[in-house]
Amino acid sequence: MRSSRSVDLSLTSPWTVTLLLFWAFPVAYSLLIGFTDYRLLIEGYRWVGWDNYRSLFRDPAFLTALENTFIFVLGTIPVTTVLALGMALLVNRQFRGRSFFRSAFFLPSITSMVVIALIFTNLFSRGGYIAFLAEMAGFSPPVHGFLYDSRTALYAIMGMDVWMSLGYFMLIFLAGLKSIPDELYEAAEIAGASPMRTFWSVTLPLLRPVAVFVVVINSIKSFQVFVEIFVMTRGKFDTATGVYFVYEQGLTTAFRMGYASAAAYILFVIIGVFSVLQFLVLRRRTALW
Amino acid sequence: MVDRRHPLLVAGRYLSLTAIAVVMLFPLAWMFRVGFMSPVDGLGVTALTTAGWTFQNFRDLFTQASLGWALFNSILVGGLVTIGNILFCFMVAYGLARYHTITNKVLFASVLIVLMIPMHIVTIPLYLLCLKTGLYDTYWVLILPWLVNPIGIFLVKQYVESIPPSMEEAARVDGAGELTVLFRVVMPLCRPALAVLAIQVFFTNWNSFLFPFILTSRESLRTLPVALALYQGHQAVDWPHLMAGSTVAVVPILIVFLFMQRQIVSGITAGAVKQ
Amino acid sequence: MLNSILRALIFFLLLSSAVAAQTTIEWWQFWTDPDIKPTIVAMVKEFERQNPDLRVNLTDLTWANGHEKIAIAFASGAAPDIVELGSDWIAQFASAGRLADLTDHVASQRLHYQGWTMATYNEKVFAKPWILGTRLLFFNRDLLKRAGYTADFAPVNWAELGHAIAAVSKLGSGIYGWGSNTAEKHRLYKKFMPFFWSAGGRIFSEDDRFCVISSQQAIEALKFYKSLHECCGYVADQRGIEDAFLEGKVGFVISGDWLLKRIELEERRINLGTVVMPGPGPDFSTSQVYDPNLQVTAYPGKSFMGGEFLAVNADSKNQLGAVKLIDFITSPENQLRFCKANRSANPSSREAQLDSYFQSNPHLQNFVMQLNLSAHPPVDPNWVYMETEIEAAVERVLFENAPPGETLRQLQKTITNLRKQ
Repeated sequence: MRSSRSVDLSLTSPWTVTLLLFWAFPVAYSLLIGFTDYRLLIEGYRWVGWDNYRSLFRDPAFLTALENTFIFVLGTIPVTTVLALGMALLVNRQFRGRSFFRSAFFLPSITSMVVIALIFTNLFSRGGYIAFLAEMAGFSPPVHGFLYDSRTALYAIMGMDVWMSLGYFMLIFLAGLKSIPDELYEAAEIAGASPMRTFWSVTLPLLRPVAVFVVVINSIKSFQVFVEIFVMTRGKFDTATGVYFVYEQGLTTAFRMGYASAAAYILFVIIGVFSVLQFLVLRRRTALW
Repeated sequence: MVDRRHPLLVAGRYLSLTAIAVVMLFPLAWMFRVGFMSPVDGLGVTALTTAGWTFQNFRDLFTQASLGWALFNSILVGGLVTIGNILFCFMVAYGLARYHTITNKVLFASVLIVLMIPMHIVTIPLYLLCLKTGLYDTYWVLILPWLVNPIGIFLVKQYVESIPPSMEEAARVDGAGELTVLFRVVMPLCRPALAVLAIQVFFTNWNSFLFPFILTSRESLRTLPVALALYQGHQAVDWPHLMAGSTVAVVPILIVFLFMQRQIVSGITAGAVKQ
Repeated sequence: MLNSILRALIFFLLLSSAVAAQTTIEWWQFWTDPDIKPTIVAMVKEFERQNPDLRVNLTDLTWANGHEKIAIAFASGAAPDIVELGSDWIAQFASAGRLADLTDHVASQRLHYQGWTMATYNEKVFAKPWILGTRLLFFNRDLLKRAGYTADFAPVNWAELGHAIAAVSKLGSGIYGWGSNTAEKHRLYKKFMPFFWSAGGRIFSEDDRFCVISSQQAIEALKFYKSLHECCGYVADQRGIEDAFLEGKVGFVISGDWLLKRIELEERRINLGTVVMPGPGPDFSTSQVYDPNLQVTAYPGKSFMGGEFLAVNADSKNQLGAVKLIDFITSPENQLRFCKANRSANPSSREAQLDSYFQSNPHLQNFVMQLNLSAHPPVDPNWVYMETEIEAAVERVLFENAPPGETLRQLQKTITNLRKQ
């Protein structure tokens, strides 16, 4: 009979192997490469210390990518959160057809991002449905399509992203709403509170931890937006974001891996700091897990 | 809570619900419709209603090498990764849940940390690693790194901890070996969590794009999302074929979703709300 | 009994040694369309018939990611024996020592082929020219007629070009005068460079010491290109522009000989006109009004020259066989066969160029003429990166309203720095 120690170690070995080989090692390696000028197509490399980082902050392409990333995150998170909460409230009560509507709202979230990006590439194109709707509403859409104009391309993609994530976050809010005990609502009703008052004083405070979770998870996801950018614009027309910059610099044409790794690390640090800040600022009382 | 509101409010609610549903479903409905149109029909508003319905695009998918292979790859890889996760996440979760050593505490902390790490940081080093070890552009690279998903470990560990160890102890006293205890006694009890895990992993893997795209280059090795993103018809974008392919990418998920809603929902909300 | 066993054994040994003696040549190439791939396959099969000890294994590459695949293959040591390279990629791989030096082998063939300059790096030849290509100005005669031009009109300088494009644009909504490429990698610069070179612009000075891309002529060229885009541009990627052109919605596009193939294969009814790229005219005047009675001096410009080259992997174990295959594929007969099948207009073989096929219609004649009025980008290992910077600069001017002069001066600094690396 084997010792419990060896049983334990062999049980957890799949994770240990995966962790070391595919996570710990690459993350450390990435940090190291970031301090060299390694380019895939050229033999040998030199240690350049912080040069890559210095150059990055002087690189207009990188700064634009960072700017776009922030626009993306700050533009989509509040909208998604509020709309998802609204949808959750709408679907919360028991009514006929509830599960149909809930499923309908959720369907975009489980669809592959590639498929959605492809569909919307057509919907946003010159003469597509969204241009049609814009004209009906009295706006004049960009002549060549929303994605071929640097004033609208990024915002179009942001809108699509909000559309796609609503269902997912609606579900999370629904779970949060369900976890609020009914007695609290009954107590509020007995106390004569209006629905508005109940919402502000009972529902919202208790939803805070869920809302924090939604915001943090959504930010982490949004900071890494890549698929949509790649499929819809290949980063052109001012839509390049952090991860797209890393991809373009490190894995295409120039294969400047040292440079790209440094950029990836800057993004990594930004995400980390942002998440921690959000967590601290928005959290306050209730523990999450 | 049953809705006892004023009929006008009820009507208003249904109106807004329908409006939202239309907005959420229209693009997917459009995709579905276009997949059944012929490339010569054009895509104007009238064409959508007047054009016929043809299966030709779907038939083409399987005769044209690229998308038929992609479907096969997605199924193969998705299946293997899911089965692997069920097996390995269970093993690891059990180990972490039942053996309270310092190593395991560190390992579990690493699970949580990895969950927080953005994936993009791993792209370039993983790419280099695969290139240098010859794994680049092989099936291995689509499978090996994804066999043990930290979310899975997290989910299953929580579940195993909620099962009293008495049954395992009883089985051991009876003389059962560790393997038997693991797979004959505990695993069946974990079916609900494993079902959630399987669906979560399958969905994520089926839809994943970044790593399959970066780590492969042969057309025959592409998974469905990658094949769709890189699909190049000989003319300008061939929307009907592309949308037919997209429909094929969406339908399996849809079917799984319709049958396993509860598991999907609980998988998503698992970390968000304290059970 | 023993006799027959012995005979079978000998036969088997001979067979296996024949098979063992066969070497397989790996060839990666870009001609994957179903209407041309069979020609490549047929040529390969004939090569195998003529050389029973050689087998050829074809791998397809797409234009979307072929360059990257080749780069990765060389970097990871998995490159094939023969690789088809675009003209502007040769220097990059040659300077990294990836390509075999063919100078001695092709010494006797120099006079029989055109395009050697694009394959020569550091005075050594690293690839053999196969199918060359240039860009021509295509236009829709029907649209011009509707705009008031005669049936045989063709613009011969920038003034006429500008006016014709503007006139077509005025024909109504949905009709555009000019197909303007969107920000598309490896495509956009090939549309701008003709204007750049026609105006007399140079990337590097005559003595190759300085980057002079922000010369006054270059700025004028960029301004003109932008004016076409702004007033009358139908913005889309190459396919989109060609589609719109073939549907009669766009007046003028710049394209290559593949457009002729498209028109023929898709049986498009379009009243096609082609003309060599016009130049600006002696004083860059674009204010001249079109007067059919005026004798205007043709001022031909310069177009973009590129092409497909065949190179041998320096680490290949089958260099002899590879070179044999390259010579076979680039032979005059096989080039002619390929061009007829693919409607290509510019074979590199001078013998093939003499065939009457290339005089059989005015468009092919124009392509032949244009090739000899073309320039190609510098053969520099960093060209791929310079190209990216040039495209980025043009994109900024076209789509973000960056000032042309300032942008080109910035570009000049960037390229100078790139060269230093």
